[in-house]
Amino acid sequence: MTDVPVLQVDDLNTSFLLTAGEVKALRDVSLTVHRGEILGLVGESGSGKSITGFSINGLLSPPGQVMSGSIRLHGDEITGLGSEQMRRLRGNRIAMVFQDPMMTLNPVLKIGHQMRDALRAHMRIGDREVRARSLAALHEVGIPSPEDRLLAYPHQLSGGMRQRVAVAIALLHEPDLVIADEPTTALDVTIQGQILSLVQRLCRDRGTALIWITHDLAVVAGIADRIAVMYAGRIVEEGTVDDVLDRPAHPYTRGLIDSVPSRGQRGRRLQQIPGRMPALTDLPEGCSFRPRCPRAADACAQPQPMRDLGARRVRCCRPLTEALA
Amino acid sequence: MTDPILRVEGVTRRFGGRGDLVARLLARLGLARPKPVVTAVDDVSFTLDRGKVLGVVGESGCGKSTLGRMIAGLLPPSEGGIHVATGDTGHALPMQMIFQDPFSSLNPRKRVTDLVGEAPRVHRIVDRAGMDAYIDGLMERCGIDPGVRDRFAHQFSGGQRQRIGIARALAVKPEILVADEAVSALDVSIQAQIINLFMDLRDEFGLTYVFISHDLGVVEHIADTILVMYLGRVVEIGPAEEVFARPRHPYTRALIEGVPRLDRRRVVYAPVEGDIPSPIDPPSGCHFHPRCPFAQDRCRAERPALRQVGPVEAACHFAEDIANSKETPPWPATQTA
Repeated sequence: MTDVPVLQVDDLNTSFLLTAGEVKALRDVSLTVHRGEILGLVGESGSGKSITGFSINGLLSPPGQVMSGSIRLHGDEITGLGSEQMRRLRGNRIAMVFQDPMMTLNPVLKIGHQMRDALRAHMRIGDREVRARSLAALHEVGIPSPEDRLLAYPHQLSGGMRQRVAVAIALLHEPDLVIADEPTTALDVTIQGQILSLVQRLCRDRGTALIWITHDLAVVAGIADRIAVMYAGRIVEEGTVDDVLDRPAHPYTRGLIDSVPSRGQRGRRLQQIPGRMPALTDLPEGCSFRPRCPRAADACAQPQPMRDLGARRVRCCRPLTEALA
Repeated sequence: MTDPILRVEGVTRRFGGRGDLVARLLARLGLARPKPVVTAVDDVSFTLDRGKVLGVVGESGCGKSTLGRMIAGLLPPSEGGIHVATGDTGHALPMQMIFQDPFSSLNPRKRVTDLVGEAPRVHRIVDRAGMDAYIDGLMERCGIDPGVRDRFAHQFSGGQRQRIGIARALAVKPEILVADEAVSALDVSIQAQIINLFMDLRDEFGLTYVFISHDLGVVEHIADTILVMYLGRVVEIGPAEEVFARPRHPYTRALIEGVPRLDRRRVVYAPVEGDIPSPIDPPSGCHFHPRCPFAQDRCRAERPALRQVGPVEAACHFAEDIANSKETPPWPATQTA
């Protein structure tokens, strides 16, 4: 067993180059995902969590651009790759599942056609083999009567079914890494449970590394091994699920956790974080969370490097795990 | 002391069916199939006391929004009646609704003053002279700086827009607010702010809420009574703490157990099987039977009536057995070591 992580991202900076100026969507994002590991990437709208997924997958389109940093897949640098080389990786070694399968599946092509295209994009195989692999993939994600579904159009399936098809297509080439961007957000609770259970099982059985992007802390609490919390384009805290959720170090993480209604708190006022996330064009100096932070002090106006606190990393000079002087 | 403000009696709402004259003629001549009838809400009854919060939960297509729209008076019921006991004076319009999407529920061509001020002006709740002060007071109460009163809705963030929606609803001094997924589109930290605002307003104005949401965590936090719907029918209704502590209906149990929670780690999800059936062609008997691990022959044949089971009402033939069964059913989530 080598110890090379499936994905290693170091100091990734992504910007949108607009006529009005450069908008820094990601700043110094670093993450590592190992084989069979599930990383929950959590943040609110505009925190940069989806842009992180797009950057890794090479799906950014102008004016978005990776400015600097390194993305390594099994130790191989992929940031400098051309679009043709990225195309060979995407769907093959890195796959993505999006929030809305109605947007990602082509509405005028039958499911079987779309699976054939996905298979033939990376393999030279005959019709019989295509059919066998498609059926196996649909069967594996628990779609009843897969033969009929191959002939169905996406609109003929329910939302949960469509998301299963999207998962099946993502897993066709047994990728090393799956990036799932809010895949259950649009689904009902019972259907969400089905998709969670499915993804969990497939990743465990195959050792696929998974990045689960979501705004819902509770979802990642259930499935992730580690959590990275993003705020205004930066990762502010990263660690094991238990560390981050039970003993958050960053005040923003604490605020997020307290904002979630939890059991046994009926009727009590929720702890709320005052204000809202600043616009990326107008970030305060130093820590971006400073204006909303109850622990803010003068030192917070300085740039905040990522600090190692044992098994976790936090971008805060006054973390909750340390008593204030 | 109970003080019922809202009484819903046997309300049913159907969609589709008749069609226009041509469609009916064609159907009669056998040239077209008659339009299918969807029973979106099927014989729903309950009463709600003043100052209380009713949480309506259920998945897509269960009829919760249709029920909310009927309560708000936006949609007439096909059968049954909705009675509101408006109490003291000063309430121009007793019911108001707050919608999920603050982007589509506010007219983008209007300024905040017009959005909030139009209804009280039309209904002559405030005279012209007092209007500005009235609008400012509402905005301030809902957490919007009155200094931005001349801006358009699109210049605000989602959370701010939802505050404008709430201010607009409050402007006509309602007694009942129907909030249909009012916090679902918001980020977590903003959602907490809006939930707190809802609770503050209830205490301050003695409002009664019908709070519709698919998010059980939110509903558990805010509601006094929970009403669980499945394919148009009420499957369980009762005090929130009872329903959450000891759900009597297997569907309620599946919903509650299936919700991801912060304190449940490394869960192995073993979810309830199957899709939500189409309301056009619902299953026979108990609508939930195809997905229910406890289902027996009786469930396939006979529709269970909503009946008193301990402190709650549940529509399940075997509610007592399920509530009392100690063993965990095979779904929906079991904790691993």
